[in-house]
Amino acid sequence: MNRRRFVQAMGALALSAAGGMSKTLAAAPHEVARLRFLRPPGAKAEEEFLNTCIRCGQCGEVCPNQAINYFKFEDGLSAVDTPFITPREQACILCMKCGDICPSGALEKIPAEAEDILGRVRMGRAVVDKRLCLSYNGKTCGVCYRACPLQDIAMKCGMLEQPIVTEACIGCGLCERSCISMPQAIRILPSLDKEQKA
Amino acid sequence: MSRYPNRWKYVNALRLVVLTLAFVPLVFLPYSTIYQHFLAAHAYDMLNASDQRLYDVMNFLTGNFITDAKQFDVVKGTTWSATFWGFKLSDPLAVLSQTAAHTHLHGPLLLSVLLPVLATVILGRFFCGWLCPANLLYELADWIAERLRRAGVPLGDRRFDRRLKYGVLAVGVIASAWGGTVAMSAIYPPAIVGREAYYLIATAGAGAGTAFFAVTLLFDLLVARRGFCRVLCPGGALYSLLGRYRLLRVQRKVDLCNDCKKCDQTCMFDLNPMADGFGQECNNCGACIAVCPTGSLVFEWARKDGPPQGPGHLGSVYKKNKGTPHA
Repeated sequence: MNRRRFVQAMGALALSAAGGMSKTLAAAPHEVARLRFLRPPGAKAEEEFLNTCIRCGQCGEVCPNQAINYFKFEDGLSAVDTPFITPREQACILCMKCGDICPSGALEKIPAEAEDILGRVRMGRAVVDKRLCLSYNGKTCGVCYRACPLQDIAMKCGMLEQPIVTEACIGCGLCERSCISMPQAIRILPSLDKEQKA
Repeated sequence: MSRYPNRWKYVNALRLVVLTLAFVPLVFLPYSTIYQHFLAAHAYDMLNASDQRLYDVMNFLTGNFITDAKQFDVVKGTTWSATFWGFKLSDPLAVLSQTAAHTHLHGPLLLSVLLPVLATVILGRFFCGWLCPANLLYELADWIAERLRRAGVPLGDRRFDRRLKYGVLAVGVIASAWGGTVAMSAIYPPAIVGREAYYLIATAGAGAGTAFFAVTLLFDLLVARRGFCRVLCPGGALYSLLGRYRLLRVQRKVDLCNDCKKCDQTCMFDLNPMADGFGQECNNCGACIAVCPTGSLVFEWARKDGPPQGPGHLGSVYKKNKGTPHA
């Protein structure tokens, strides 16, 4: 095989590989991966977030809880280097510094006050799996209730410390982070879409 | 002392110092971020030996000025976009790409590029030579490549049309608009270098940007000397366009030029100072000024480049044809 043939073969290989991968790479991560992730607090709806974020990485640098990670190449080209939070690993403590430092407008600037946070942050909503939750199975736990930064507003405490998530929950993920059940009995369902963000 | 003193002999050395100083924060800030977490946690005893060492070094460097972890919040970011005490600066390319993707201008981001754009309009493509962190690495690689070439290693030195980078800029803008995503940040080396330095130092590891940057370095070494900056960089293209009518220019004093061609050889962008060929792509780096043995190249405030002036008056061609300037 001479050099030209080799280059042609490699080119064809690369093209077919790209063809196969492009569907995965071009799509946003919430469309491809069965990966559950949150955007930092104050994030715009997913589509708008992707075309606004300039990938400067300052939100992750300023995050005091090291909660913000960045998508890699394999999570889709359109989302590469955008910030996300995996609440089970490290959850958001709602300090709102990321929105302060964001230069692009992808993260809204929201004052770190309860009313503003409750009114404008919508990362997701906690959902309890009653089959896994200790408190729903006769063992008094209440760890998630105590971890909740918006106690009695976002999460109320029932009999045997059973967590009752209310409509006010904004999905910071501190309950999921703190759940002592393995796997966790409380999870954040992300709100990435506009409808849910309203 | 030479008969023709060069007042700007050290301008290139000064530039390299500035370039290095601009690079230092990209390494320092990720470390300061880690240190900031350690400081806030008040748990020195819990750190492992290497983290304790990092803590000690950072404490030695900053302990006299910074006692509260929050104080580190005031300076964050990279050359792509940075925050100084709440004042934000961004790369004009970020705005262009975001605007293409988003079809709507974001006021605060627009404000953050005001100063860079103004500086570029006045000083031309100065970012490339004086601040760009990727350029420092490319220059380092080129310095090594030069020594390898002299040692007889066959490295590539192909020439491509420099206008290709305007195409790359256009492709980046179209990709941003079509993909609905700020695609430019993935193909623009300075953004990549800052980001990847943060990933490497302060997070789990490098992203795809490191691989991309390595490819551009190989392109420089094996295919075209300083090829990425000269031929492909979309940021360089944007800065060249913004700096087309720059006010500060390198100009040639023909009566002092001796046609030695050192300036042409030292130019990182493959321009021809000796033939008065500066154009919009000159980045006012001053390397040609510093290398000139007779001080015939100078910075001047001017709206336009002067016309070609022919052979230098100290050169043999001019002396042979005295009186007929364009011989």
